[in-house]
Amino acid sequence: MKILLADDDAERVRLLIQALAADCSITVLRLPPGESLLDAVAAQGPDVVLVDMARPDRDGLESLRQLSASDPRPIALFVDQDDPSFMEAAIAAGVSSYNVIGTPPPDVKPILRAAVALFRRHQQTRAALDSAETRLQERSIIAQAKTRLMKHRRMSEPDAYRWLRRSAMSSGQRIVDVARKLLHEAGEDTRP
Amino acid sequence: MTGKPPVRFGLLRLADSAPAVVALQRGLFSELGLTVELSVEPSWANIVDKLAYGLLDAAAMLPPLALAAALGLRGPPARLLVPMGLSGGGNTITVRREVADAIAGSAAPQGAMAKGRALGEWLHAQPAPPRFAVVHAFSTHNLLLRYWLAASGVDPDRDIATVVIAPEQVEAALADGRIVGFCAGAPWGELAERNGSGRHLMGTSDVWANHPEKCVAVAEPWANANPLALQRLLRGLLQAQRLCEQPGAADWVAHLLAGQPLRLPVTAVRACLPGGSATERIRFRAGLAWYPRRSQAIWFLTQMRRWGWVGSEIDLPAAAGQLYRPDLLAAAADAEGLAWPDTVTEPDGGFCDGAISDRTKISNDRN
Repeated sequence: MKILLADDDAERVRLLIQALAADCSITVLRLPPGESLLDAVAAQGPDVVLVDMARPDRDGLESLRQLSASDPRPIALFVDQDDPSFMEAAIAAGVSSYNVIGTPPPDVKPILRAAVALFRRHQQTRAALDSAETRLQERSIIAQAKTRLMKHRRMSEPDAYRWLRRSAMSSGQRIVDVARKLLHEAGEDTRP
Repeated sequence: MTGKPPVRFGLLRLADSAPAVVALQRGLFSELGLTVELSVEPSWANIVDKLAYGLLDAAAMLPPLALAAALGLRGPPARLLVPMGLSGGGNTITVRREVADAIAGSAAPQGAMAKGRALGEWLHAQPAPPRFAVVHAFSTHNLLLRYWLAASGVDPDRDIATVVIAPEQVEAALADGRIVGFCAGAPWGELAERNGSGRHLMGTSDVWANHPEKCVAVAEPWANANPLALQRLLRGLLQAQRLCEQPGAADWVAHLLAGQPLRLPVTAVRACLPGGSATERIRFRAGLAWYPRRSQAIWFLTQMRRWGWVGSEIDLPAAAGQLYRPDLLAAAADAEGLAWPDTVTEPDGGFCDGAISDRTKISNDRN
């Protein structure tokens, strides 16, 4: 069975190839970066396509049946009708699977299950990174606002922080929002 | 409404998503006691899958795709409802400059049919079918493009090759010659014109005057479980449509769409909004853009059957009636002071070939 991986994340692709390597009936094909999904499907003739849902060209794959009557190998979304919670997990993790219509349906679920696990782990790492990044950014905005208060209102650092905290509590906002507003009103740029 | 999870609303990077962005960022939803989260998706397939599996509650949607998904033409039948129209018009048919020059000849053809015949002559002279892009097979764009081509004597299955390219990528595809033309939503045609990569041939409202464009699709289980939230969502969107329709609003709406989360090109978007300078502009309230007319759903289905995508076993009016639910909008429309249209006497608008939309008699939409 030939599986085309349409995923631009090199690390995730490497891990997935590793996970699928145990099954010697599987040949993994990769989508060269920059090549369109449709061209790769036409050129490599996979039986199954695993697609990162962040890709915008998924719509092209699904439209094959309507638009290319001449294409001998249209492709359809794999759906496990009996297991909606598995489908939900796959979509939430951001991966979908397509079968080539007209070939006997391969047992795609274990493959998709491996992909879902990888995509989910990747998503969690990403989310953790994002929130760490946001926290760092917020900390630097608050620091910038404190510096401004210390310089222009001659507050000590603890006083500046207390001032921000008090304003936040009385206006029902977060400290970082008060800090951002202060800097904005003062005409100082904050990083977005 | 504290404690209630936010309503998850999906959309693509398109100017006709404006009502959702305006309702959120102008605080219209929160004034109604509703928390809404926007989820910008890279593909229509994502929107349908997430609606079908409960990862989105509502979304801006292509009416033909909503119909296709509900009928199970792209997977298992998705339990969707369309309680409201989001926009009308706004798409352009744009071609590469040399194509526009070739079909213009000495005098630029006037009118949709003359343009279609001139394009047909050029197409028939090409050694291989030139590539045109639409944003999805089941899109308003594809169906209107095909209708116009067919009316002009062009066979859309043989004289052109249709490819699907995401709206935000069509301009680049036109510029580097992968396609000779496209039919896509705002602001991408306007951007091609401004960048010099393409020429605006006509708008889709020249194919079907007053045609509906995006609709609001909701997940049926969510709608059934959250009638009050649905009501508030629709009211917020109706209010936002009213704001977006005002010609004087084009500036601030365009700036809102240029910011997070859509990051659209501000000048091109401004041109396509109701107060803008483009010839094809989006309608948010004009032409009853808000009203989910079943006769329009039937027209889309009829076209889908015409091209062989919907089998004869499917009862088209029944399918339209099951998906399109204007009754769900009635209370929100009343609360916003919108007069309920008389769908029997108010016409849908004519077509480029002189046809009038076949308004299959579905009176009393409200019940």
